[in-house]
Amino acid sequence: MNIDGPDLEDRYRRVLRLLPRYYRAIWEEDMVAALLDSRMTGDEDEDEYVLEFGRPAWPEVASVVALAARLYLGGVGAPRRYLAWGQAVRGAVLALLLTHAIWGLSAILLVARSHRLLGWLPPTPAAGGIWLTVWYTGGYSWIVVFVALVLRRYGVARAFAGLAVAAALAIVLQGQLAGELVSPFASWSYLVLMDFIPVAAMAAFHQDAPPVPRRAWLLALPAGYLLVNVPWLTLQLTGNAAWLPDNFGLCCLLVALACLAHAPRAWSSRAGTGTWSLALALLAVVVGLERLTSLSFYPNNPHLARVGLAELLIMVAAAALVAPDAVRAPAAMPAPPSRPRLR
Amino acid sequence: MAVKPMTGQAFFVLTALADGPRHGYGIVREVADLSQGRVKLKIGSLYGVLDRLAADGLVEPDREEAHDGRLRRYYRLTRDGRDALAEEADLRAATARVVRTRLGLAGGEAAG
Repeated sequence: MNIDGPDLEDRYRRVLRLLPRYYRAIWEEDMVAALLDSRMTGDEDEDEYVLEFGRPAWPEVASVVALAARLYLGGVGAPRRYLAWGQAVRGAVLALLLTHAIWGLSAILLVARSHRLLGWLPPTPAAGGIWLTVWYTGGYSWIVVFVALVLRRYGVARAFAGLAVAAALAIVLQGQLAGELVSPFASWSYLVLMDFIPVAAMAAFHQDAPPVPRRAWLLALPAGYLLVNVPWLTLQLTGNAAWLPDNFGLCCLLVALACLAHAPRAWSSRAGTGTWSLALALLAVVVGLERLTSLSFYPNNPHLARVGLAELLIMVAAAALVAPDAVRAPAAMPAPPSRPRLR
Repeated sequence: MAVKPMTGQAFFVLTALADGPRHGYGIVREVADLSQGRVKLKIGSLYGVLDRLAADGLVEPDREEAHDGRLRRYYRLTRDGRDALAEEADLRAATARVVRTRLGLAGGEAAG
């Protein structure tokens, strides 16, 4: 041990503090030994130097971060609270990706209308250009991401999520550079809250994660499209667009409706594990932040800003109904099966 | 219940333990040798795989040895681990034979 300061072993131990305590109790000493072994060259002087001044390599740190993310989100043998968080995060991620996928379907409809493929609907103006293509590419990609996640094709989902996020990033960046963004703050916030965070949280879909109910989630895509976009389109086509909330308000109202629908179960004596309530609470936090930041789209329109705040309050009130159930979720999960003792 | 497919990393780790117990970094080196340098396990990945294999009862601790003031823990295959590895090896060998046959390479299945 270097008496003047931390040595390589200390630095590795600091990195390993990212891992959950229960996991470190089993594996930390072994991991430290393996990490230090991996740095030894057999040359006494060089090894001494490395042990004193060496720093953890970034690929090793990244592998520990990835392991930590998987363990905190319900990896094999994790305590029940991590299993509950993992399940709740998977539910919230799927719900957010479902909204993206529904908008992706809307993009297909827009293209079909602009090409006059749906004769019974008035055509939309045929627009072109590279950035519209990028926007559509992102929209279609979200459909693939959602379906692939449900079908446990995680590699495919991650590849298309990268494409969708890259498309969204390119559009915001282009808007920023061209000075076309109405509210740069709101646009970047949307990118972080609705694109980056759900994609990062896809880490909860790991090899040890139990499968999600496929049929229900796959049916949610056409059902969601019919329940959200058809009334939306109808109001637009009948000249009642003024009644429509913006996308962020719509998300608030959808989360509020989901909370209200789930509340009787959350309050009943036969309440389940509470992970759905926790998922709804997570959704409410993300969507609520998005609603708040998106109010900067309306600096000169106090009426729309007030409507936005009302949508936010409705969602907060509805989320409060499931909050007590969400709080008990980390302890209500069934205990995981016992595992062989290694130490 | 459906049997979970074995990942490539798990296959290499089990193979690295097939001829005797190894410690963590010994497994990393053996996997690199076995894969001719194509699979370079990071320590975070190795212990993710080892943790899962131990939970599934396919590997278990063998012994601990002191080395340079640190304890190295060695791991070995369990009987279930040997069976699972043999089954996976058969499956991969059969797949490889089909591939060679379809590509018209030597070592494929004889035409019937």
